[in-house]
Amino acid sequence: MSAMKMTRRGFIKTCGIMAGYAVLSVNMTKEVFAAAMNMVGMRQKQVYDADAHVYKIRKSQDNPMIKKIYDTKSGFLHDGPCGHKSHHLLHTEYKDRSARVKALKDKGVTLNI
Amino acid sequence: MMRSVEGVMYQVNAPKGVDPDDIFFVQVDPNKCEACGTCEEVCGTGAIKSINDDGIRQVVDTAACMNCGQCLVNCPYGAIYEGVSYVDELFEKLKDPDTVVVSMPAPAVRYGLGECFGAPTGTYVGGKMHAALRKLGFDYIWDNEFTADVTIMEEGTELIGRVKNAGKEGTLPLPQFTSCCPGWVKFVESFHPELLPHVSTCKSPIGMLGPLAKTYGAQETGSKPKKMYTVSIMPCVAKKYEGLRPEMDDSGQRDIDATINTRELAYMIKKAGIEFNSLPDEDPDPVLGESTGAATIFGTSGGVMEAALRLAYEVLSGQKLNDPDIKVVRTHEGIKTADVKVPNFGTVKVAVCSGLSNAQKLCEEVKAGKSPYHFIEIMACPGGCVNGGGQPIDPDVRASLFKSMIAKVNRRYNARKPVA
Repeated sequence: MSAMKMTRRGFIKTCGIMAGYAVLSVNMTKEVFAAAMNMVGMRQKQVYDADAHVYKIRKSQDNPMIKKIYDTKSGFLHDGPCGHKSHHLLHTEYKDRSARVKALKDKGVTLNI
Repeated sequence: MMRSVEGVMYQVNAPKGVDPDDIFFVQVDPNKCEACGTCEEVCGTGAIKSINDDGIRQVVDTAACMNCGQCLVNCPYGAIYEGVSYVDELFEKLKDPDTVVVSMPAPAVRYGLGECFGAPTGTYVGGKMHAALRKLGFDYIWDNEFTADVTIMEEGTELIGRVKNAGKEGTLPLPQFTSCCPGWVKFVESFHPELLPHVSTCKSPIGMLGPLAKTYGAQETGSKPKKMYTVSIMPCVAKKYEGLRPEMDDSGQRDIDATINTRELAYMIKKAGIEFNSLPDEDPDPVLGESTGAATIFGTSGGVMEAALRLAYEVLSGQKLNDPDIKVVRTHEGIKTADVKVPNFGTVKVAVCSGLSNAQKLCEEVKAGKSPYHFIEIMACPGGCVNGGGQPIDPDVRASLFKSMIAKVNRRYNARKPVA
């Protein structure tokens, strides 16, 4: 059994198929990625087409509902963008999450960063 | 229990009160993995890797995974599944006459959803999407594009403040990074916490629509916030993590009750027996529904930047921007930089970047004090949200029989490789 394995492995080596496999596998990843990016380009084009042709208003500040919500007299956010109410509802704070990443690396897991 | 949704497996799991840091939002099914390594290749952090001599991949730890789902949409074998799905709970809520169910679809959903019903790649189906949501029984057809416009007002104002007061005490530093992308936000929190003061304090559009729906929206419609159930509909997997962040409760309730993605919405429409292609185009409900072209371009890499510049130009120059197309920031992949000339102000220096390995380069530059930019947009997925981890799978990505055979041979060969 083990002799058969050896022979097979030797055969593969001499044929150089090892290298062939490696190339094929790299190419496959590239091919998959290229297909995906082609699809992305098509979706992106549709986004810009809709921006130019479907949406009647093209700037956020011109949206009538934006004008309504920020109206200085009666608007829900009458103290303006980055005002008091905005800060409470629409802004946030972030958390340092590096400790768990560090613990992972200390365990011997290699990451790209 | 597992279920197949548009060619992707999902665990039926709607977590409540769970720390999202402990959830595997994506994971590899070892029985379907062919060890081709595509996932590892597209992962920005190295969270997904070979765990045995067979070359079978796994997401090794939730702390290293940014939940972007690029591994999932690029897997040729459909071997990667999602760990969280609110579909069953949402169907229950839609049936309950006592619950006010609110729809909140992201811009990019309307450029992917049609593909699940046979439309060509990228077809815009915004009108049909609103009609389908109404047919599914949502009480308010509000739209996350409205808060994309709000985001521009808030984030643009924040940027103008940082630029005008640069160097003054108490001012947040430049460059300002965008904060719309939950994969990027977790990335900077995990790998570059020292850069957090550079990240815009603005919540993402969905982070804004949740609390606005349960305060302003409740007020405008006479709804009780406690009875409202807000549904974030996203082209994304990482948005499921964002919706579960414990701090997202500024409305006095949970701001976002459920998050589904484009594939799950298509599944629900099909399951409900709705003939999507014969639906008429319908508008969203006003107040929290109306949006602009600036909002819809949030769906693509460079879009937040362009939308913000359409505001910043007018505020900084005091002049009207006649042509809203700022093509210089439009990008397909990689890092794009531009100098935008603004009259009465000077030059606004910007960078647009998608893909986390590219983000890493810009982070290093900022850390080294070498970043010349005022504003940097970062999206975790190459090309932006239209290519999100929750979008329909590109049929070209799924392997042909030939590729599948090669991978199997590869796997057998790798299995025989002597252990070092």
